Amino acid sequence: MTTAVPSLELRHISKSFPGVTALDDVSVAFYPNEVVGLIGENGAGKSTVLKVLNGIYQPDAGEILVNGAPVKITKPRDAFDRGIAMVFQEQSILGSLTIAENIFLGREEEFLRYGFIDSRAMNAAAARELKKVHLDLAPGRRCEDLTFAERQMVEIAKALSLDGRIAGQLTILLDEPTSVLEAKEVGLLLSIVRELKQRATIVMISHRLDEVLTISDRVIVMRDGRVAKELPTKSATVQDLHKHMVGRQLHHEYYREARQAKVGAETILSVKALSRAGSFQGVSFDLHAGEVLGLAGVIGSGREDLARCLAGHLAFDSGTLEVKGKPLAGGSVLKAASSGIGLVPSERKAEGIVAALTVAENITMAALPKFVKSGIIQFAEEQRTAHAWIDQLHVKTPSTATPIGSLSGGNQQKCVLAKWRVAGVAALILDHPTRGIDVGAKEDVYELIRDMTAEGLAILLLADTLEEVIGLSSRILVMKDGAVTATFDASPRAKPVQVDLVRHMV
Amino acid sequence: MQKDWIARIKDQLTPIVLVGLVLAVSLYDPRFLSVSNLLTVAADTMTLFLMASGVTLVIMMGGIDLSIQSVASMASCILAVTLARFGFGAVLLAVLAGLLAGLAGGLTSTVLRIPSFIATLAVGGIVTSVAYYVSDAHSVNIPADLSHAYLGWAVGSPLAIPNEILVGGVCAALLTAVLTYTPFGRLVRAIGHQERAVIASGLNVDRQKLIAYTLSGGMAGLAGVVMGARLGSGSPTLANEFLLPAIACIIVGGTAVTGGVGSVWRTLLGALIIQVVRIGMTFVGVSVFAQQIVFGTILVAAVAITMDRSKVTVVK
Repeated sequence: MTTAVPSLELRHISKSFPGVTALDDVSVAFYPNEVVGLIGENGAGKSTVLKVLNGIYQPDAGEILVNGAPVKITKPRDAFDRGIAMVFQEQSILGSLTIAENIFLGREEEFLRYGFIDSRAMNAAAARELKKVHLDLAPGRRCEDLTFAERQMVEIAKALSLDGRIAGQLTILLDEPTSVLEAKEVGLLLSIVRELKQRATIVMISHRLDEVLTISDRVIVMRDGRVAKELPTKSATVQDLHKHMVGRQLHHEYYREARQAKVGAETILSVKALSRAGSFQGVSFDLHAGEVLGLAGVIGSGREDLARCLAGHLAFDSGTLEVKGKPLAGGSVLKAASSGIGLVPSERKAEGIVAALTVAENITMAALPKFVKSGIIQFAEEQRTAHAWIDQLHVKTPSTATPIGSLSGGNQQKCVLAKWRVAGVAALILDHPTRGIDVGAKEDVYELIRDMTAEGLAILLLADTLEEVIGLSSRILVMKDGAVTATFDASPRAKPVQVDLVRHMV
Repeated sequence: MQKDWIARIKDQLTPIVLVGLVLAVSLYDPRFLSVSNLLTVAADTMTLFLMASGVTLVIMMGGIDLSIQSVASMASCILAVTLARFGFGAVLLAVLAGLLAGLAGGLTSTVLRIPSFIATLAVGGIVTSVAYYVSDAHSVNIPADLSHAYLGWAVGSPLAIPNEILVGGVCAALLTAVLTYTPFGRLVRAIGHQERAVIASGLNVDRQKLIAYTLSGGMAGLAGVVMGARLGSGSPTLANEFLLPAIACIIVGGTAVTGGVGSVWRTLLGALIIQVVRIGMTFVGVSVFAQQIVFGTILVAAVAITMDRSKVTVVK
């Protein structure tokens, strides 16, 4: 197999962003008729690889070869035309178009007759593509009426439609294809992947190590923007893969377990039978001062919506929410924030910071009214506060007047934490607080979480990895399909292991 | 180093263009450069600037107010019709009507969640009808004695500087102070840059928007008053043909259509540029009918030059 020409190869690809090296001299090759599992923790560089292959990012160095020939990819269409098809988690299917129109989007010339699209011919061609993925749907149906899994299959059919339409070998990259699928659908998808192998190179990016081991021929492990390990699936175990992903033996000190605060008696946040249609049902728990309560669950478990609901970003349908004994109505960030709940969002650039404003302006944003006297912002006081928090949280910034967007992700995140501390919140919801920040900065965030609980803040944590949620939490709620399925105590040295949690997650 | 220079020149492009245009027109006719002429030009610019000054805030916030020319016309009608009865009260009434029209546009946009260009376009239609009712669809004369008694603050020039310039200068200074020193001003920029992050910080974004739209309407109302005072009449079509140059002078000044970046001073410079271009066209002999072509072209060119469109993938 290795004597063949790779259908897709990356040679010495590097890519960095201000403050973060996303890819550091990455060289990988994918060969015809093989399934490769590409794994790694969040931030390891997998999605950057995809974006480089898709033309969304231009690499700083290195080259991409398709079927042995160097290529330049500057937009998604370039990749597609060269036989590199990607099936993304956030799907690219357009709901208002039919299945056939989606499959042949941008390639309608094939079906033109006197300048008009011959939809009968297009539908017939689409039906042939749908057969390849065993999807029994009329090609004329509109995609917004399909289930998520069906749309994913349409997307795969779209990728497969390149087969025979381009020269050379087809490469299909599947980004977390199973994370939102039901067990039955996962089985179907994996069997389709096995069939596809006959006519394409498949790269599967996945968190689910067991699935990667079942389906792939070879596994590539990425870590910190590098290829950490390449190994044949035959000789790999889940433990091996995990070790290569993390790159170190787990030890207690990484998550500052020694500093895990004793959970206080005071109830900060009390949630009773909270429900939101389509998101979660009947969720009840108390969050105490000094506690880190971890919420574990897969995508679709409802934990993200629950977190956003508690912070007022979403409304709830029934149940009650109390902050320090006072009821809080849902659906208003304004009310949630003024009653003492802050959310550190996972989409930092969209919701956490205003990139063009200064560090000081961002730090004081949530508490801006406190810095106003007779209608005028008290700039000196604002500067004092900003300096104090920059010192306390060790934010690396040239000055308080630097636009926050030019700081590294980790330092931006510290400012987001500072923003809520200045606002004086009692409970902080951390939605993937270490997403997209460097390893060193992650440890700083862990340290800050311990600092905050030591001061009596209550923290609800949605972590990036199970390891992180176990390491940081005092208690863990596991959610599945919108309901809490298990609660684990996670006192230092009495922590649950990942399999315990996973059992209740899927 | 070279890039530094380019960046610095780009920052100061607006004043450079203004000086260049003034010199160009003076080459054509040296009398243009006389102090008294320049003061006249500046005074003539002020109604346009007043109309554009409030919208600047709305555009900085990422919205738009298309009702301003209707609001200014309505204000001129209210002024002309009620001046005899209310005196200075008529001025207040006209500005108040402008404030209300702005608030109405803001409420339509924020409460009903309708894009601001639709909301303010619709409100502009209503406002135009109000102007027709108030004026009975006629141009209403403002008698000279009333104008002298109550509108002298807007059109006289007791201090050798035309009062329009003073009014415009005071408004520019006040609005700049609001933008610089108040939480509203900061949030205007923040919302323009990244509205979701401001909402997620637990701030009342809708309230800031209402303030901006209300100020925009109020400034348009004031512009209508000054316009009526200068022309000696109010009319429901008085400020027609002003919307395009008003938006043009905001953009030419360097306020970004995408929100976040901008200032009222820039709009003042932009208004002066538009005015000098207008005069220049008359000098050169461009037909009055063709002037809107030039404004339209300038608007597109200004956006094309000032905006980094390489990052804009979707245009709606």
